[in-house]
Amino acid sequence: MAQMTQRSSGGFRRYRWTELGLFILPIVILLLEMTQLLLTKLDPASTPDLRKFPSIQELTPIIGLVTVLLLAHIVLNIFFRKTDQFLLPLVGLLSGLGVLMATRLGPAVGDVNQGNKQLAWVVIGLVICLGTIFALRNIHWLARYKYTAALFGVILFCTTLVNALHANLDTPTHDQLKLGPFAFQPSELLKICVVIFFAAYLSENKDVLAEGGWRIGRLRLPPLRQLGPIALMLFISLILFLVVRELGLALLIYGIFLSMIYLGTNKLAYVLVSVAVAVLLGFIGFKLLPYVRQRFAVVGFDVVNWQNWSDADTYFASNAGYQVVQGLIAVSSGGILGAGFGLGHPGYVPVIQSDMVFTAFAEEFGLIGLFALMGIYLFVLYRGFRIAIEATDTFSKLLAAGLTSIFAIQTLIISAGNLKLMPLTGIPLPFLSYGGSSVIGNFIIIGILLRISYNTALERDGMG
Amino acid sequence: MQLDTFLLILRILFIVLLYLFLMQVVIAITRDLRRTSASSEDMDSKGPPVLGHLIVVDSGPTNILPGTRFDLQPQTIIGRGPTNTIQITENFISSEHTRLWFRNGMWYVQDAGSVNGTYVNNQPAREVISAKPGDIIRVGYIQFKLTA
Repeated sequence: MAQMTQRSSGGFRRYRWTELGLFILPIVILLLEMTQLLLTKLDPASTPDLRKFPSIQELTPIIGLVTVLLLAHIVLNIFFRKTDQFLLPLVGLLSGLGVLMATRLGPAVGDVNQGNKQLAWVVIGLVICLGTIFALRNIHWLARYKYTAALFGVILFCTTLVNALHANLDTPTHDQLKLGPFAFQPSELLKICVVIFFAAYLSENKDVLAEGGWRIGRLRLPPLRQLGPIALMLFISLILFLVVRELGLALLIYGIFLSMIYLGTNKLAYVLVSVAVAVLLGFIGFKLLPYVRQRFAVVGFDVVNWQNWSDADTYFASNAGYQVVQGLIAVSSGGILGAGFGLGHPGYVPVIQSDMVFTAFAEEFGLIGLFALMGIYLFVLYRGFRIAIEATDTFSKLLAAGLTSIFAIQTLIISAGNLKLMPLTGIPLPFLSYGGSSVIGNFIIIGILLRISYNTALERDGMG
Repeated sequence: MQLDTFLLILRILFIVLLYLFLMQVVIAITRDLRRTSASSEDMDSKGPPVLGHLIVVDSGPTNILPGTRFDLQPQTIIGRGPTNTIQITENFISSEHTRLWFRNGMWYVQDAGSVNGTYVNNQPAREVISAKPGDIIRVGYIQFKLTA
């Protein structure tokens, strides 16, 4: 009896106070930055006075975003009170910064409405995120239809394969599906389908896979019957990406494969064998494909010693290496404190709004802002892996871990590419890059993570 | 004050707020972690409610340390078999030796048909005997004190 009264009177305390508290600072930050962006359009020598401050009308996009975020918070309070309280504020701040960056970079790259388009994508993404939480009432439904999910992803991707084969085969193409005025990248959905497939397959077969069937010396490999579907799926993805020339995506899929294999079977041997195969494939790619060689050449290029460049070096820096070199110059121009939002010079870096947005952020917010940004991404990763640890069944665990790995590896690949630590690829920086499909894909990931955390909380606490 | 000074202030304010947000997240995360570990410790050790304890005062021929505490659940059976609430693997203890239960604020003890008998304050417990904290319950050759 005493336990019953405790449950019903807990309504006030069980409101998602943590989430609401965590929303305050992001809202202030976003409003502050929008104000700053609008103030930079004025004459820098003038004195600021209240009449010249941005009006409410000019701040409408950000106020709209803030309202949508708070609405999402209220929806979660009504329907899904027990979900993880950290993900939405973190992701809200990231997507808000993405919208701000798109607004700022829009005029510099020639597309004035970029900010509004990004805002529209973020709002649609939030709606889809909430829709995912509603729709995935039974997560194991995803596991049952794993082959369907895999097939769906592959079919989606084959449509862009056809599209790519029409185009010039020598230049690296982006996989894009054009639906009227919108360009959609089906690879975002394909990544999620691949993770669902791997998670479901590994959770069903992990004992057999971990056991191992045949040995090569000290190495035990799983029996071919179990290894078959998973290896087949992997190779299909890789070949698709190699033909469409999105090497970054091939790297991403391989990274997801490695992490999920290790999480599912706990055998370091499998990981080492996979890495060896990857290195071998990379070597073959390096020898065969010229633009792979070019991208690796950029990584090896010496930028610091610019006063002693030969003519060939200068030529390289102005043509093949132009994007990365300009990106590095932008990052270093930012210094520690940054040039200031709206006060940098992003026009020199090609494709700065999507591939190189990391350098735009570094130039305008400096090293300190960059560390803070990395901190936000790390917290999202932490919550994702925590949701995976606390999940109660194997499929949910592997799914959550796999989805978080997508997020982690994406961020890693593009950040390293922007900083010339790795060859530059076309992977978008989650939530910060301008591009609708990336925003939607990442919101679906967040939605699935929130749903898994809700299921775990339900099982742990009961229906109260 | 010129606009660019004002903008400098805004920029620094942005950085400060961003790091304040990160700190807020860290604090909330540690609070969340502490709460989860505390509640999982509670859940691990609680399970069914513990309404009293039996403390060994005389362990007889066994190796049990005097002072060892056993948790008492609302329904407790002491015996040698693994299905008992309190399992004591000694030869003189029968597979199901003693039954204790708590009702209306009182403990009740009854022998479960054992070979060596159960005694409450040296009274044989063939029929149900009530016990209160402080009583000595003898199970075979081990003496326990019942406490709250």
